[in-house]
Amino acid sequence: MTTTAAPALAATMRDGYKDYGYGEAAVRALDGINVDIARSEFTAIMGPSGSGKSTLLHTLAGLDRLTAGSSTIGDTVITQLSEAQITQVRRDYIGFIFQAFNLIPSLNARENITLPIDIAGGDVDEEWFDEIIGILGLGDRLTHLPAELSGGQQQRVAVARALVSRPDIIFADEPSGNLDSRSGAELLAFMQRAVKEFKQTIVMVTHDPTAASYSDRILFLEDGKIVDEMREPTADRVLDRMKQMGH
Amino acid sequence: MLRLALKSVRHNPKRLILTVVAVALGVSLVTATMTFTSALSRGFTDLFGDIYATVDVVIEEEPAESEDEGFSPTDAAGLFTEEDVAAVQAIDGVEDAAGAVRYEMGALLGLDGEPLRPGPPTLLYNWTGVEGIDRATVIDGRAPEAPGEVAVDIDTYADLEASPGDVVGIATETGVYDLEVVGSVRFGENNELQTAKLMYATDDTVREVAGGITGYSGIEIVAEDGADLDAIVSDAGEVIPEGTRAISAQDKAAEQVEELNEALDIIDIFALVFGLVALFVGAYIIVNTFRIIVTQRTREFGLLRAIGAQGKQIRSTILIEAIVVALVGATVGILLGWGLAVAGGALVEVFSGDILGPLIVPVRALVWSYALGALVTIVAALLPAIHASQISPMEALREAGTSGKKSLGVRNVVGGALALLGIAAVVAGLELKVAGPAYWVGAGAVLIVLGTTLLAAQVLIPLAHGLRGVLAAIGGVNGKLAANNIRREPRRSANSAAALMIGVMLLALVATFTESVKDTFTSQFATNKAELFILAQMGPVPQGAIDVVADTEGVRDVMRYAGIDATVDGTSTTVGMVDAALADAVFDFNVDRPLAEIDGGTFIDPSVVEAGVEVGDEIAFESATGSVTVPVTGLYLNEGDQQYLLDWEQGEQLSDDPFIFQVLIDFDDDVDVDATTQAIEDNLSEDFPLVQVQSPSELEQFFNQVLTILLGVISGLLSAALLIAILGVANTLLLSVTERTREIGLLRAVGVTRKAVWGMITLESVVMALFGTILGIVLGVGLGVALVQALSDFGFERAVVPWVWIGVYTVLSMIAGVVAAIWPAWRASRLDILKAIAADG
Ligand SMILES: Nc1ncnc2c1ncn2[C@@H]1O[C@H](COP(=O)(O)OP(=O)(O)OP(=O)(O)O)[C@@H](O)[C@H]1O
Ligand SMILES: [Mg+2]
Repeated sequence: MTTTAAPALAATMRDGYKDYGYGEAAVRALDGINVDIARSEFTAIMGPSGSGKSTLLHTLAGLDRLTAGSSTIGDTVITQLSEAQITQVRRDYIGFIFQAFNLIPSLNARENITLPIDIAGGDVDEEWFDEIIGILGLGDRLTHLPAELSGGQQQRVAVARALVSRPDIIFADEPSGNLDSRSGAELLAFMQRAVKEFKQTIVMVTHDPTAASYSDRILFLEDGKIVDEMREPTADRVLDRMKQMGH
Repeated sequence: MLRLALKSVRHNPKRLILTVVAVALGVSLVTATMTFTSALSRGFTDLFGDIYATVDVVIEEEPAESEDEGFSPTDAAGLFTEEDVAAVQAIDGVEDAAGAVRYEMGALLGLDGEPLRPGPPTLLYNWTGVEGIDRATVIDGRAPEAPGEVAVDIDTYADLEASPGDVVGIATETGVYDLEVVGSVRFGENNELQTAKLMYATDDTVREVAGGITGYSGIEIVAEDGADLDAIVSDAGEVIPEGTRAISAQDKAAEQVEELNEALDIIDIFALVFGLVALFVGAYIIVNTFRIIVTQRTREFGLLRAIGAQGKQIRSTILIEAIVVALVGATVGILLGWGLAVAGGALVEVFSGDILGPLIVPVRALVWSYALGALVTIVAALLPAIHASQISPMEALREAGTSGKKSLGVRNVVGGALALLGIAAVVAGLELKVAGPAYWVGAGAVLIVLGTTLLAAQVLIPLAHGLRGVLAAIGGVNGKLAANNIRREPRRSANSAAALMIGVMLLALVATFTESVKDTFTSQFATNKAELFILAQMGPVPQGAIDVVADTEGVRDVMRYAGIDATVDGTSTTVGMVDAALADAVFDFNVDRPLAEIDGGTFIDPSVVEAGVEVGDEIAFESATGSVTVPVTGLYLNEGDQQYLLDWEQGEQLSDDPFIFQVLIDFDDDVDVDATTQAIEDNLSEDFPLVQVQSPSELEQFFNQVLTILLGVISGLLSAALLIAILGVANTLLLSVTERTREIGLLRAVGVTRKAVWGMITLESVVMALFGTILGIVLGVGLGVALVQALSDFGFERAVVPWVWIGVYTVLSMIAGVVAAIWPAWRASRLDILKAIAADG
């Protein structure tokens, strides 16, 4: 994406509803969501289990479709696109970091990192690649298969993969959920640095107040609604807020 | 544990579907054939029952002791005289005895003089006027009374659109006889002749048509009510000539049924062999399926072990699943086979009329089907089951997919050993004089297949590695991933490929063999100097026809090639006879010196040379009607044609009626070949409409057709195995797609399109199919070449690599790969991304 014509918002959702199931078993996972994700901002989404965090992330990222409402990535309204078109949007503009199983087991670290570029058939920006690898400390692990990496290293490879194609926006669902506190802290610091230094946009779902405190802005979700938001969070403030929500 | 096993089947029936289909396809071949042959047997049992229903005792020639009679000369003199018949009539309890003359070698011509559709025999029997013995009732007109009259069975009568007074021809070895139709008769109750054409004439007419025999060929007896048949049989034994016997009609019918069943048993065995091949291929799929199931359930089994399940119990769980698959598969296969038999039966009825009894699945088909299905499935599931029982409780705690890669070392050693052993067995079977060479070659081939399967895994790793670059160039990341997936589970990929390899190997083997046979014919015809051939078809080539040809203008020489039964030193042997003086001019026989130098002696084949006979030795031949002693004057270099070759003159001392199976016709130089051929055909059509002359090119074409049909039939029978193999590729992919759910979900999440996922799976499938096909071609052509070379004594000149077929098989395997990928690729591309990435690893 060119920076000159870039819209101010990286992603938006208007009146987003998501229902699962029908009749008796129907669950409203998202209940009228309005959200703007600003560029170069680190947004965290928090809320009790089952509040709809993952659902919001998936629908924003075009992995899942809203039942009603619209959402955009950059200036593209993805809710009207066909499956193939959404896939293309994901490929070209979005990066992903999941909680686990981020990597293709049969590809080595380097191949996993460049996977999105390979899929799109583009050229790897070697300078950028080296810079990311340097920051993430993966230089000597590039030829290893995922099975030969620690959990923390695997997640860092996933971060590198998300960053390497310079996507407009990165979505992360509990990226540090499976890591011990030190590896988790390292990973989150990297993500924070990507936002600060490289103007990357990141949206992250998390349970953990400490993790959320690395972000610039937290959205609190409850029963499918955004009930609050917090800027410049610290771990303590987040914890207090969570307690109010009966968490 | 039983509950767990059944739950596991119920919980995930899809992964077993293709396994069940594999078992079912193999079993269906067996059931279909057995159902069909038993229907055929029933149909003919009814016929034999009808034939002997009204007669009580039959007197006939003593059946020959040995089966291999070879060329049997037709007996000119009948077995029984009028006096014999009278003597039998005088026996106590005999109501009616009548002499029978029967001629079954002719062919009925249509009213226009043209031969009818070949196939069912024409039976010409004498009309005795005794109802029980004739077994037929006059429907239209009357029975034959005077010489030259004939009554025709009602179906043939209708087919001919004949009416009393019409003249029909019956073509025989001695010419065409015209008979006047005087009426129609119904055989038995319903004229159930299994499509044979039945005609009745007077005794003398039948004798004349049969080539001027005298007396009767049999005597049939209708006993008085309540007479003791055993007594009649033993009394008759006293009065009939040497070499004949009396037998009760019931026993005779049973004997014929038994003979037929023996022949049908061979067909059954044939089907069993192909069924086994199919099931053998199926076993590969079953191994793969259970292997994958075990991998997928590693954590579950680990957990079970952790909470106290015994390894033995885990093993039983898998085996019970296997038994369920076998039972369901065999049952489906039996139903499928029955359906095939019914469909095949309907087809046969269209072409051959009503020759089948009811199509019921016989008990032995059920037994074989379940036994084979269970055996193959359980044996195939055994290794995976043992693997499962060895899973440690620790595995439950380990991350899925990270379990260490076991080395292929043992597999390679075992595979290499098996392959070497197999090659040794094949070489021993083909080159050394071992007992039962076919078994050696067969067992060797199986060992080579197993060994290659095991080694294929090792070959696949560097191959897939090398392919990575190629596939990446074709399919980008998808190509790379496809190559990785093949390499990731080399055992699994190798098994899938090997299943296809077996089918292709057999195809390539047969193709190599038939192409080599074709090549041999072609090169033989290249050296042939005769303008026309006559080949024996139903019976021998009649001497009368040969005379007609020889008298045609433009014909220079006619060389006959015949066979006779004879013994040397008391053991029966095959003896050929030719017009030796003419032989060299018309055909390039494979001999060490010109046949013209036979000089009243005999040429011997390699098997006789091996027995220690040399040129110059004296050989004494004996036959039923004569004997002759001649020196060995040369060598006939092909094995398998005949052991001894005589000149015509010497041969005639052994038999005055040799079985002429081939005639070569040489024209004068500078005559018009087409016109002369036409003249010969015209001359023959009058008295010998059944004799066909063929030009070398027609003959070559004919042979090629026969071989192509042979190849087609074998390919058809192998199609079940090939289909199973392709299902195997599909099955492996399907299971591995399930296994890779998360991975594929991830790929989709980061932007791989559905089409690209489809492409990746297809690429994987095509590579696996190609790999199996290439291995199969290499093995099949290799074995084929070895076989042809081993048979070089039988006149094979060189082995021909069937390039065209190799090309066809390669292209087809690529198509098969694409087709096999459809279901798995569809599944993979339709994966719900969210579910995939949420799937519990
Ligand atoms: N595929 C589905 N089918 C039916 N209901 C679903 C499905 N996915 C989510 N839900 C429901 O939607 C609601 C929101 O789920 P979601 O996964 O978004 O919660 P979450 O906030 O991510 O929870 P957690 O913190 O436990 O991950 C829950 O009530 C859940 O049960
Ligand atoms: Mg969640």
